[in-house]
Formats: sequence, structure tokens, C-alpha cells
Amino acid sequence: MNGRAGAVRNRLAPESPAWQNGPLPIEKLDLEAQLMAIAPEQTNTRPRRARAAVTAVERLRLEDVSVFYGNTPAVKNVSLSIRQGEVLALIGPSGCGKTTLLRTLNRLTELTPNASHSGRVLLDGEDTDDIVDTELRRRVSMVFQQPNPFPMSIFDNVGFALREQSRKRPRRRELEPLVDHALQRAGLHDEVRADLNRSALRLSGGQQQRLCIARAIAQEPEILLMDEPCSALDPRSTAVIEDLILQLREDLAIVVVTHNLQQAHRIADRVAFMYLGDLVEAGETEQVFSDPREEQTREYIAGVFG
Amino acid sequence: MLERLRRPWSDHRAEQLLGAVACLLAIGIILMIVFIVRGAWPTFSHLGLSWLGSGGNLDNQVGAMVNTSAHPAASAFAFHAWPLIWGTLLTAGFAVLFGLAISLAAAIFIVDFAPPFVQRTMKPVIRLLAAIPGVLYGLIGILVLVPFIDKHILTTAEQNSVINVIQLSGGGLGVTILLVTLMITPILTALITDALESVPRAWREGAIALGLNPLRATIAVSLRAIRPAIVAATALATARALGEAVVVSMVSGGKAFAPNPLDGKIFFLEPVETLASEIVRQADNLSIPVLHSTLYAIAALLLFSSFALSLASYLIRLPMRRYQVSN
Repeated sequence: MNGRAGAVRNRLAPESPAWQNGPLPIEKLDLEAQLMAIAPEQTNTRPRRARAAVTAVERLRLEDVSVFYGNTPAVKNVSLSIRQGEVLALIGPSGCGKTTLLRTLNRLTELTPNASHSGRVLLDGEDTDDIVDTELRRRVSMVFQQPNPFPMSIFDNVGFALREQSRKRPRRRELEPLVDHALQRAGLHDEVRADLNRSALRLSGGQQQRLCIARAIAQEPEILLMDEPCSALDPRSTAVIEDLILQLREDLAIVVVTHNLQQAHRIADRVAFMYLGDLVEAGETEQVFSDPREEQTREYIAGVFG
Repeated sequence: MLERLRRPWSDHRAEQLLGAVACLLAIGIILMIVFIVRGAWPTFSHLGLSWLGSGGNLDNQVGAMVNTSAHPAASAFAFHAWPLIWGTLLTAGFAVLFGLAISLAAAIFIVDFAPPFVQRTMKPVIRLLAAIPGVLYGLIGILVLVPFIDKHILTTAEQNSVINVIQLSGGGLGVTILLVTLMITPILTALITDALESVPRAWREGAIALGLNPLRATIAVSLRAIRPAIVAATALATARALGEAVVVSMVSGGKAFAPNPLDGKIFFLEPVETLASEIVRQADNLSIPVLHSTLYAIAALLLFSSFALSLASYLIRLPMRRYQVSN
């Protein structure tokens, strides 16, 4: 980590320890203004993560992963490591393969008839192609861009995967503690505990998305994939979910796809920038934002394209 | 004059016209009920609910009616409709059961599993099948299926074993169920396919992302979500099966016999007559007052059961709608 990044971190996050000193370079002063210009409705660029994650254990490793739709490559030769206790943000302009890469991690791309992939994705050292797909998707859970609660009660939504997994249909009394716990972790419990039998479709958009998170973490996955989880939500709900992501990263490895640079800056410990299917640059959030190694990254962050 | 017609209608006038059409429809239905109940009245006033029961040979009872006078005695009304009711329950019940199973499987395949080109072909083909006039099925039944069964499936020993009770000829419960199933399956499939397609893809995808296999995801989320539509489609198909007259009268064997499930294989070869097909069969004899009233009574029962069906479908769907967006 070089001095300039530390300086920016100081400026952006005053509460973080002043672990680096040095002159503030002029060209970096504009970063915050540039970030604001990209998404003027959200002026808060301060990182929410008060401290870096402590235990970073590698859970998922991508080795030279390429994904094709027919003969068209959507993701080209990506190698990346995803660690528990960290939030990894995938950023990049629309159509750059972020979502495709994310969906490769739980083999959801297999639902697309002409999709194929090469390279290896290792979950705790085990090739995901060797894991039964349903088993893999229990361990690598996913939250989608649009909240997609099922047309059932809140309770049935959160207990859905738990019920489907068990051989014998568990009684409600057995599921209750697990459902409550998942709702608590998703920060939704206080708002809905009065009536868990309400239809999930009558919750607000932000509540629905938190319900989907609760549903995804109810079966205690190891990895949580989030595909632009806040893009359909208002700023207040977005803030709630960002806080939630930072709490969840303690027990999970989290990958967030986002087109919102401020969001990536606020919540991610590490950032991977993709462009036209290539992984251009991946690294610590502060380094990527303040001192990108690649020119393309610099231009994207400065709002030149995308 | 033309100029006046061409001018756009005011909302008020359009409302009145549409209201008038709706009222006309309602009046038509009420008149139909009044006529049928009035026509059936002599029968029910003489026999009461015993009319619905069993007893005697129904064909003989009808035969006796043909010879009654214009001012019949009360005894002339003797008629026990149970064989017809039983026949209707059997054909409609089995046909809807088989039809529902087939169309659920077909709809799931078409919507969630078939490759796109199969999807594109199957959907119009099923709509085409749904549009085929029923009498064509009857024709195929009487020309192909009944002779086939008579020749290859029905044995002489089986015919002889019941020779004292009934004559077996190939036509009967089995062919009837088969053809009615064929008639209602396309429309059921089309309705369920439409409903399944209206389920947001995100629901099924979400279920798969939670670790369900695709078939299980379809059943646990998509099918569950369209339960009301399945019930409504089933009610429609049941109504069609109940009312199917021409096809049944063509292949059912021409005897108002109540097939006995204890007869094993012969059960499906025994002749059967339904409420609707009996009306078709006796349509020539309407000038005879007793028979006239009896047929009206059958019609009243059919009308009542279709109302009961609508009501039941509504009541079954009520609790299913609890978790849907609207309401």
C-alpha cells in the first residue's frame, strides 16, 4: 500500500486510523467530486466498513475461467480468489460480463442452453464441476437484482430451502428458530415478527430484498453472491442492505456485482474491475480507487466510459 | 344517419349498450333455468329425490314411458336416474383425472423443459387440437376404436361370462373415458401452459439458485403459484366432460347400464350412458309428456351440477389467493 492511497483513505474516512502520512496529490483531490458526478443522488462516499476484515480465508478460487455463449466469449480467462470475511465487488460497465461471471460461480449459467465454460472454479479446493449442482447452490447462495420473493408467506419464504432440503417435511416448530435467526441476520426480524404469515409480496421493495437475503442465508451457505442487490431500491433501503452486507461478511465470503462505484467503495474490501469480459484489475478497494494500475480502470473510475 | 353513427359514442351511451347486453345474457340464463325447472317439475313432484336413486332397468323404464298417454298416471313417471349419474361420474371423473395428469406433465414440459423449437411447435398444435369438433373424436371412436376393442381386446369368454346380464360389443366405459380424455386434455394443457408461462421466471430461477433441481423448482414454486388457475381449468374441463353428449352416445354401447368396478377388466368394457348422452338418445321421443319431463329433469340435474362446479371451484380457490399480489 502506498502513501497516496492512505492519504485518500484518511480524507474519505476520517475515523480510520491515520496509519499513513504524506502529501495529498492534487490529481486525487478530484476523486470524490468525480464519484459524486457519476451518481449525484448519492453523496455519501464514505466507506461503511469501519475496519478491514480480520479473518480472510480463501473459499473460492477461479483459475483461468472463461464463459462462452455459443462461440461468443462473455468472460475471458479470469483468475480471482474470493475470501471469507471479505466483500469482493465486481465493477465494470454494462455487458462486461460481471453478472455472467457471478452466475458461473454457482453454475447458474447452465440454465442458459448455449452457455459453456472453461477453466476451473474451486470451492474449498474442490472443483465445482465435480459437486452436484444442487449441493453447490446450497453452499453458494445467490441474491438477485430484482427482489424475487415467492408468492408465499414470509415464514414459508425463509423456510423454503430448509424444507426442500430435508427428507421429511419438518414441522413449523422445528423451523421456527432457524427462520427467526435468518431474519435476524438479515435485519428484517423486528419489522416482520408481528406476523410471519403475511404474504411476502406485500412487503416493500427493500424489505423484499432483505427477505431474499434471509432466504439465501437460511441454509448457512459459505458464499453469498449478490447481483446488483440494491439497484431496484431507494437510497434508504440501499443503506440498510449495505450495512447488512458488512455484518454478513464476518461469516461468509460475499461477492457483489454493482455498477455503482460509490457503493463498491463503501462496502467492498476488494474490487475487481471487468471490461469487455476481461478482468482488467483486481485489488484492495483503496488501491483500485485511488491508484489503479491500469489506464482503463482509471478512466472508468473517472467516468470516461461506461 | 350514417354520419351520426360514425360519430364517437359518449361513455354514457357505451355504458348503456354494454349494460343492456349483459342484462340480456343474465335474462337468458334465468329464462333457461325457469323453463328447465318448470319442465322437470312433474317428474320431481311425483318422485321426489328417489328419482336420483337406483332401481330397475333404466332402459325398460324409458321404454315403458314411450307407451304412456297424454295424461299420464303418477306411476308412469317411474324412473331411477342412478345409472346415468354413475355413468356421468365415472366418465367425467376418470377423464378429468387422466386429462389433468397428462396436461400437467405436458405443460411443465412445454414451458420449462422443452427446447425452444419444440415449444414453438407444441403450443399451436395443442390449440389446434383444442379446436377440433368433438364429433370427429366420436367418429374415430366408432370407426376405429370400438371395432378394435371388439376384435382384439374383448374375448369370447368375457362376452359369455356376462351374456345373461349385458351384451358386450367393444363400445363402453373404456372407450368413452379415452375419448372424453382426448377431448378435454388439449384445452386443459393450453390453459395450464398459459398460466405457467405467466409465472415470473425469477421465481423459478430463485428456487434453482437455492439448490432445488429444475423439476422440483417448477413444482414447488411455479405449480404452487398457479394452483388457482389449475382449479379453474379443471372446473372448465369437468364442465365439458359432464356435458359431452354426442361422442359419448356414439361409443358408449347404447345401454344405460351402471358399470361395476368389481368386474375387473370387464368394468371398462361395460356399456354406459351419461346424463347428457341420454338426452341425445331420447331426443326423438320428446312429444311424449312423461319422457319430456324426465329429460327436463336430467337437464335440471346437469344444470345444477354445473352451478355446483362453479361454486366449488370458487370456494377452493379462495384460500389459495391469500398470498397473491392483488386482493
